[in-house]
Amino acid sequence: MKIAVCIKRTPDSESRFKIAASGAAIDETGLKFDMDDFAGYAVEAALQLNEKAGGGETVVYAVGPDNVQETLRKAMSMGADRAVQLKADSVPADGIAIAKALAAELKDGGFDLILFGKHAFDSSAGVVGTATAELLGIPCVTAASELTIENGTGRARRELEGAAEILTFPLPAAITIDEGVARPRYPSLKGIMAAKKKPLESKPAQLGPSRITVQKMELPPERPAGRIIGEGSAAVPELVKLLQNEAKVL
Amino acid sequence: MTAGNVVFLFVFVIAAGFFALNVQRLVSYLQLGYAEGRTDHPLVRLRNVFEIGIAQKKIFRDPIAGPMHAAIFWGFMVLTAGTVEILIAGVFPKFTFEMFLPKAIYTLYSASQDGFAVLVLGAVSFALYRRTVLHPKRLDGDDLEHTDALIILSMIGGLMITLLLSNGFLLAAFPDAIGPEKVFSHVLGSLFSSTMAPRTALARYHIFWWAHALLILSFLNYLPYSKHLHVITSLINVYFSNTSGPGVRGAMRPMDLEADVEAFGASDVEQLSWKNLLDGYSCTECGRCTAACPANITGKLLSPRKIVINTRQRLMEKAPVVTHDRMDFMRPALSHGVEDYSEATDEEVLGHRLLDTYITEEELWACTSCRACVTECPVSIDQLDIINQMRRNLVLTESRFPEELQPVFESLERNGSPWAFNAADRADWAEGLDIPTMAQMQERGEKPDILFWVGCMGSFDDRAKKITVAFARIMKACDINFAILGQEEACHGDPARRMGNEYLYQIMAKNAIETLDRYEVTTIVTHCPHCFHQMGNEFPQFGGNYEVIHHSTFIERLLQDERVPLKTAEGQKLTVAYHDSCYLGRYNDVYEAPRASMKRALPVITLVEAPRSKDRGLCCGAGGGRMFMEENTGKRINVERTEELLATGADAIAVACPFCMTMMSDGVKANGSEVPVYDISEVVASQLRAGQPA
Amino acid sequence: MANILVFAETRNGEIRKIAFEAVTAARQLADATGGGEVHAVLAGASGIGAKASQLGTYGADVVLVSESADFAGYARESLAATVADRARTGGYRAVVIGFSAQGRDLAPRVAARIDAPLASDVTDISATADSITVKHPAYANKVIMTLVITGSPVVVSIRPSAFTATESAKTARTETLAASPAQGATVTVTEVKEGAKGRPDLGEAAIIVSGGRGLKAAENFKLVEDLADAFGNAAVGATRAVTDDGWRPHSDQIGQTGRQVSPQLYVALGISGAIQHLAGMRTSRTIVAINKDKEAPIFKVADYGIVGDVLEILPVLTAAIKGARQGH
Repeated sequence: MKIAVCIKRTPDSESRFKIAASGAAIDETGLKFDMDDFAGYAVEAALQLNEKAGGGETVVYAVGPDNVQETLRKAMSMGADRAVQLKADSVPADGIAIAKALAAELKDGGFDLILFGKHAFDSSAGVVGTATAELLGIPCVTAASELTIENGTGRARRELEGAAEILTFPLPAAITIDEGVARPRYPSLKGIMAAKKKPLESKPAQLGPSRITVQKMELPPERPAGRIIGEGSAAVPELVKLLQNEAKVL
Repeated sequence: MTAGNVVFLFVFVIAAGFFALNVQRLVSYLQLGYAEGRTDHPLVRLRNVFEIGIAQKKIFRDPIAGPMHAAIFWGFMVLTAGTVEILIAGVFPKFTFEMFLPKAIYTLYSASQDGFAVLVLGAVSFALYRRTVLHPKRLDGDDLEHTDALIILSMIGGLMITLLLSNGFLLAAFPDAIGPEKVFSHVLGSLFSSTMAPRTALARYHIFWWAHALLILSFLNYLPYSKHLHVITSLINVYFSNTSGPGVRGAMRPMDLEADVEAFGASDVEQLSWKNLLDGYSCTECGRCTAACPANITGKLLSPRKIVINTRQRLMEKAPVVTHDRMDFMRPALSHGVEDYSEATDEEVLGHRLLDTYITEEELWACTSCRACVTECPVSIDQLDIINQMRRNLVLTESRFPEELQPVFESLERNGSPWAFNAADRADWAEGLDIPTMAQMQERGEKPDILFWVGCMGSFDDRAKKITVAFARIMKACDINFAILGQEEACHGDPARRMGNEYLYQIMAKNAIETLDRYEVTTIVTHCPHCFHQMGNEFPQFGGNYEVIHHSTFIERLLQDERVPLKTAEGQKLTVAYHDSCYLGRYNDVYEAPRASMKRALPVITLVEAPRSKDRGLCCGAGGGRMFMEENTGKRINVERTEELLATGADAIAVACPFCMTMMSDGVKANGSEVPVYDISEVVASQLRAGQPA
Repeated sequence: MANILVFAETRNGEIRKIAFEAVTAARQLADATGGGEVHAVLAGASGIGAKASQLGTYGADVVLVSESADFAGYARESLAATVADRARTGGYRAVVIGFSAQGRDLAPRVAARIDAPLASDVTDISATADSITVKHPAYANKVIMTLVITGSPVVVSIRPSAFTATESAKTARTETLAASPAQGATVTVTEVKEGAKGRPDLGEAAIIVSGGRGLKAAENFKLVEDLADAFGNAAVGATRAVTDDGWRPHSDQIGQTGRQVSPQLYVALGISGAIQHLAGMRTSRTIVAINKDKEAPIFKVADYGIVGDVLEILPVLTAAIKGARQGH
């Protein structure tokens, strides 16, 4: 199969974030960036599908400045065959603008399957994948937690609140990948070396106009410091009260 | 020269030729391995040959088999001289060493032949008894072949018997033929002369002489087909081995990661060094390594002996095919046991690999890299080197490893520690302790004498943080001018290296060296033996040269210099069992400093030793990246070790490693015990005089 | 003054809570921009129109009822076409959709179809004459973004429970909305698996109750299970020591070498908090710890801790949680 995977470079989710002086961005100093977790699942899913099919091509795409090349290389070190950077000075906050660039690029690519992460850690919006599919006019499963392709027909599972849908769809199709589909492999050194020789094409992204701007970023209010509320079962009523009124988890 | 001499010459030339052919083949097989220089520091190597080889230093670690083997070995050394004499005399009947040796020396030599023959016969008899009746545990397992050993022992016994009998019969025929120094031969001679005519005795002499000579030649030619090839290769192996130096003990090989190669690490014999292959020739399957292996002891699949045997078996399977050595009689040689591929076609042989066909992934990941196997081996085989190279192949080439390791690798990459803790929290333990960072000191234009490298356990693990604080308190109490790197500290990559991820390791090690060099660090102390070993012994591979001191040694020196303000000894007597850390002990020979520190700080302490201690100490189970892997097979190593320590009846267990701390603490809990586990620095810090920084 | 279009989510013929929240949010937005109308699309199988009045209760002025056999389930393509067609022709200022499982899929489809910007998963909406401003927790809730959206219409999907459904007495007019057919190839729903049996997966559970060696014996996990039941649908986890001992299956292990979880509530019972365990659950939103050793590292990360014998406290806690939930 010919599979496209659209990936994003995001900061490590374990990081402790600070707001940049502008007040409308995070302070990137000291942050480690890598392929987004969900993008990683998508790349792995594509590789496994092609391995199972016994051949095919996996092409990775990323929108952004030149630092996304590192992320594209990583995908190739995992096993993707080639990569395309859709060059843009920055990644817009408007997912539809990104979807337009991807749709323009993928339209004539002849792909059987286009995969995305369910959402990216940074924007946490989940817009691009499904919107790209709409722009391309192909079937789309959003946030698939299982995915198989057999005889040109796809089958996916998608988690709902307290239930799950089992879906089938014809190819070509677009799928956004939830965790659970495939745990991304750890690139071997052999893969890293091979990735250095794989083709990486860079071309301008045909972004749509961005109609969303980030006005402000702020950190959520700090969690109250942990405390020992008492000893023995006598402390239980206090705990339940706190869970109800303060933590609001009951 | 008689007709008999001519016949013997003929037989001798054929036998020697056949032996030479086999030697040539075995040498050519070694050349399948990659080249590496092992001829540096010849004096150190010779010292090893004398200590470990000739003096049988390691052999004697076993109080029963040790003397037995030494008797046979030394007997062989001595009797080889006699064998040369006998073989020459077989062609030139008049020949004897007496022709050119001074009388006294010859007499001594002659007596030694007689005496050692009896000694060896005794030792061999015991060996046969031990193997057939006593069945020591370490001689079982790994699908070992016993016939081979019985054949060899019988041959040696036969050699001694024929030697003594031929002498006895000769003396029965000609009572003056041999000097009186051959006491046992004379006893036999007088025994025989009383029961038979000189003619009969002479005929029997000829029979036993021939039997002895033919047995020598058969023995020689049987060796290349036997695990007892070690008779020939052991001393050579000890010479070329690095396990007892030269070089840094226990340091893993650096890898050229830029090399344009198909595969990284080893999955088959060609990707091992010729020395790893020579290890295979040198293993006589004594099982000392496996008997000391913590993984094997607790029921895991790993047996270091099997790793070495498999390496040899695979070499014997593959080498004849790739060297186009069509003399198939060699193929079954040395390849007995576990798998029998003697019927395999060339194609099948080439389809096999050392990895998977012989050695499974599970075995390789079971290793704690504790170095017990290497320490035990009497012929300086490096089992761990093979395991490490194969782990590298699994990770770097095939990306195959226990799934628990992926978050560890990713965390090392992202957070600079094996755990998913935020690098920003690294120095949280130091809050309120007024400990400067290197950056702060640099800003003030100062430079500390010592860098305290805290390590990831010491920075993030709550229990280990207490060790960090205890050690920092001791240093402050002694007015040591030290600093920490704070948030600039990041793992040096040792866990990655031990788990086969040399790529990640080198990135991390180089980063750490860059940080250290930026601050012009010269002296480092650390309470983690893994950091201690890595930075002190392996950083030089990448140009990082520092004096690295483990806190046990550092504290011991402070105590020795009476710089530590101690309370006067008081309190109740305390019995402590100290658990040796592998990377402190077997890797770096630090056995006394931790014990001495506790004794000095707390004179009322009584140290008790577990049966396995010091260089025989049992690993806690955390090394070699095992800390980060599941332990689902067999008994847990830490439980085994803790049971042993608790059995000493000690009031407390002491450790000198944060990883051992975790494992021992868990082990104590698993044993349902409440015995506390302390780091040696905590024992010392508890004795600091009041008024010292809290 | 501008009208707002709302997608009123249904499942199995019932309007879902998120729909009322979306109507509430739309009502607030309409009121803030001069008191326009709120139009709610109510799509479902024949008969769904009977529920239209419920939407009025929360502030819908018009309920656009679209009944079609297709809409018995979540027919994503035709539903997207129906909402998009209405949004395109209705002159709306904004389209409000819930950020539920359905809405996550529907909102980008609608936005792409009508070429409108989409702000996802918002917790607050405000508006001025020419822009709509929203708050959106991003970076896994570690950063709150304030986004300004220009153009009209805009699509906004709201985080469930972020807007409290508030009654606003209106009698909604009902209009019929023709379903727009899907174009081209579509996704087919072959099965909907309702109500996962047993306990939820550790990775998805909102509440995890987890036990360590402090429970002393495998059979005491019964008490942990009881507490999980008291919480409703909590998952049960364990420490490595416990799974190593075979008290619980290895799949239950939470920690660096097991599952890494971040539920809304994590209850650690008899867990001391070894480094390897903390690495798997530190990111939980609220952590409760019960342990007999008050020095245990788990208390460093716990929001609420109780020192004491877990076996004694557990039954009391289970009863108290049951009571609290019944009163809820």
